[in-house]
Amino acid sequence: MSGPGGFGNGFGSGFAGRRVGAVTTTAAAPAGSDVDAVQQALAAEHAAVWTYGLVSAFVDNQAPVSEGANDHRARRDATERLLRDKGATPKPPAPAYLPPQPVENANSAVAALIAVESDVCTAWHGVLERTEDADLRKTALDALTVSAVRATRWRKTAGVTPVPITLPGTAVG
Amino acid sequence: MIGRTALTRRGLLVAAATAPLVVACTTQPPAPPPPDVLEPLAAAARADAALATALQAPDTASARTEHAARLQAEIDRATPRVPGSPVPSTAPSAVLAPPSPTRDALVQSLRTAQKQAGELLPSLPTYRTGLVGSIAAGCASLVEALS
Repeated sequence: MSGPGGFGNGFGSGFAGRRVGAVTTTAAAPAGSDVDAVQQALAAEHAAVWTYGLVSAFVDNQAPVSEGANDHRARRDATERLLRDKGATPKPPAPAYLPPQPVENANSAVAALIAVESDVCTAWHGVLERTEDADLRKTALDALTVSAVRATRWRKTAGVTPVPITLPGTAVG
Repeated sequence: MIGRTALTRRGLLVAAATAPLVVACTTQPPAPPPPDVLEPLAAAARADAALATALQAPDTASARTEHAARLQAEIDRATPRVPGSPVPSTAPSAVLAPPSPTRDALVQSLRTAQKQAGELLPSLPTYRTGLVGSIAAGCASLVEALS
């Protein structure tokens, strides 16, 4: 993906990872490794929920913003349940997150949404690459697909070209 | 007497040991490996690229060309070619767009490709799930971009 200013570049923005005032918590994850990937997906969902809340004041068309916010909230809750079912402790959200550029108007608000959806894609793609569990693969593909479609919609809104994302969740975009 | 018996026995043993070799050398060369499960996905990607080109949808054409290339690279990596065996004809030029292409047909085809990739996912080894999952999501993104 090559948007102006490199927005939406999943590996570049590092949005979800940039927790403001984050406290490092080490959840007692059982060995068996798709858990770490799911924790990262949860961190990305926390960042998405936070970002949709942040931008709501700047975006005129509220319907897609509240739809995105609701979807990410539902995904966050489902992911927390999934981690508990695996015997892990879901990592809590950070108090705040740093968007790749300050959100101060409609354009930067949409850019923040493109970036955070792209990070969500990267995180769920990571789950897909690390699990043998068919149900978890299905969940990860669904989350990856929904976020890729939403990122595409925001790219269209922002006038970013090309609009489609060739390989969501990968460095190619 | 003993010597002759031993010789006969050795002769029998040699015959028994070499018989399978003779069979092995005279039978047909081993059958080609079964087609890779990713083949239909690669073929669909090439067909979509041709259709998108015919419809002057360059973003879709380049995305599906990229999908086809990634899939073909993985297929080639997984099935090293036996020297001397015929090279499979998978040239993109072999793909022809249907006579009267429509945008609806392209969208339909992308939806089918998305579904096809998603259905394959549970059975794939982990090193292939990232690629195939990303292609499924990429097809959904292409449909959204065309709508």
